[in-house]
Amino acid sequence: MLNQKGFLAEGVLEMHSTHRRRLILFIVAGAILFYFSSRVGILRLYQGSTVSMYVIAIGSIILLTGYSGQISLGNGAFMAIGAYVAVLSQLHLDLPFFLTFFVAVLGAALAGLVLGIAAARLTGPYLAGATLALAVALPSIANLFPVLGGEQGLGYDSGNAPSLFGEVARFKWLFWISCLAALITCLLLQNILKSRYGRVWKSIRSNSVAAELTGINAPRSKVLAFVLSAGIAGLAGAVLTMSLGTVSPSAFPLSLSFALITGAVIAGISSLLPGSLVGAVVLVGMSQLIGTLTTRFEIGDVLAQNLKELVVSALLILAVVFTPNGPGEKIREMRDHRKHHSHGGHR
Amino acid sequence: MEKLISASLIGLSQGAIFALMALALVLVFRSTRVVNFAQAGQAMVSTYIGWEVVARTENYWIALPIAALAGALLAAIIETFLMRPLAKRASHGAIAPVASIIASLGVLGVLHSGAAMIWTTEQKLFQSPVSVNGIEIGSTVYPFSQADMLIISTVIIVMLTFAFFFQRTSLGLSLRAAAFQPEISRLAGVRVDRVRTIGWALSGAAGAIVGVLVTPGNYLSPFSLDILLVYGFVAAVIGGLESPQGAALGGLILGMSLSFTSIYVSSGLTFIVPFVVLLLILLVKPKGIFGGGSSRNA
Repeated sequence: MLNQKGFLAEGVLEMHSTHRRRLILFIVAGAILFYFSSRVGILRLYQGSTVSMYVIAIGSIILLTGYSGQISLGNGAFMAIGAYVAVLSQLHLDLPFFLTFFVAVLGAALAGLVLGIAAARLTGPYLAGATLALAVALPSIANLFPVLGGEQGLGYDSGNAPSLFGEVARFKWLFWISCLAALITCLLLQNILKSRYGRVWKSIRSNSVAAELTGINAPRSKVLAFVLSAGIAGLAGAVLTMSLGTVSPSAFPLSLSFALITGAVIAGISSLLPGSLVGAVVLVGMSQLIGTLTTRFEIGDVLAQNLKELVVSALLILAVVFTPNGPGEKIREMRDHRKHHSHGGHR
Repeated sequence: MEKLISASLIGLSQGAIFALMALALVLVFRSTRVVNFAQAGQAMVSTYIGWEVVARTENYWIALPIAALAGALLAAIIETFLMRPLAKRASHGAIAPVASIIASLGVLGVLHSGAAMIWTTEQKLFQSPVSVNGIEIGSTVYPFSQADMLIISTVIIVMLTFAFFFQRTSLGLSLRAAAFQPEISRLAGVRVDRVRTIGWALSGAAGAIVGVLVTPGNYLSPFSLDILLVYGFVAAVIGGLESPQGAALGGLILGMSLSFTSIYVSSGLTFIVPFVVLLLILLVKPKGIFGGGSSRNA
């Protein structure tokens, strides 16, 4: 016990400087994004918001699957919960919009707690089954209760930028908020995953019996991962709702949950910020690229509409076969390999 | 009374479909430890092939075996060229426990978009060989048709054939051995890789039969069988994912709970019932009704 405390105290000192460095990094990234927001068109701003939304959502999968080793096919459902909580808290409690984001995170995290307690007893395919059933069940609830607005959904007002920024176009304002949400999420995620919790999750993932022998409460840590992941997904849902200006069940199809997994695998499932950014850019950029290509080469409608899904799915298969642990690890592996060789040459 | 009979009959027919889909998933899972989400896509492609056969020959009874054969072939191809190499490559690291699930999601996407390119997303009508109208007894019409009877009897025949195959033939026995103890079966001379491919092929055929049974009277589209994957998977998980008997029981439980809630409570609950049933059963038995335990049912 004493030992552990001593170890922690040392860790805190060391962590202090890395924390500060990361914070500075994120502030710089924010400043760059802020600068660019005035230099690009509406389409790019909208795509930027979508990328930010995916960065957050993919982060929730990376935490859950890449670190704690649980799979969720239902993070789209937690996004839906976050989105509806945000909208309802604005409609009925008149909360200012940044507070609705907090409430969304709390609401989704609470749902994650309920499911996580059940999920802690489930492994692999059983958990996949339960979350899949959730992803199918949840959107249909909107049709059962009139307060949720049925198939048409409910409107959400993201408000205007504070007057101190002067006149700000709507899409630029949305872009700012989603980027800010993504940056804060990434900063927090980075710190959590590099902290003791990240290591605890990794140890449970690789060998839960051994982890428990070192005094780790594996079920509780798994529930914690589930709660955090659900909360982050809830934030992504709120961001999505904000950029759509409305929430409805059709915004959260099963394919959304699958897309998040695709993004996380392309990102490298246990990577951090750079990975989730790559995954999000691929997901958003792919549809843009294929749209451009199909109009350029005048490919028929039927082909064009389905080409995107075909390419993304094929990419998912290729990624999981050839770089199962992410492009990052592959590059590291190749670098190590080369280093190893050159060392051999010196001798 | 009428309500009770209707609910039980619909539950039986739906349950039979879920059970066969669950069996398809169980066959793959117990032979290769893969939860095959592409199953819905494979069944859908096989059903389109059956639809093409019906369009050309106007004969459902030829289409059924051809679709089953196509389903078996497709499954064997996926196992040989994707799942087997994947199992060797992604055997370590964070991705290992979920790699096959993720790959099967990729296959599902490829099959969806491929089918949409070939047959478009327009819904196709699949003519039923028998009447799809409710049977009339006395003055009441029950929501149970000849097509439902066809479904139930075909599923029972298929299940009994599988049971006979696994219990009484030497190939069936080596399949069970390879699923139970791959290393030891290899030593005993079972060609485990080939036997696994056969397991996948059987599962593909079962999935194709589901598609060709359930589609007549309904429309066929690249996504029309997806929901069956969810129900079939829930049924399989209820049963324990490893046991064919569990798949049959899980299908029946799910079919009955769906039809009873939609007739007695509200039809708006169709998507919520599977989740609730699944969660209730998993809370009591985290590995399903027949799953887990110290001795595995081979």
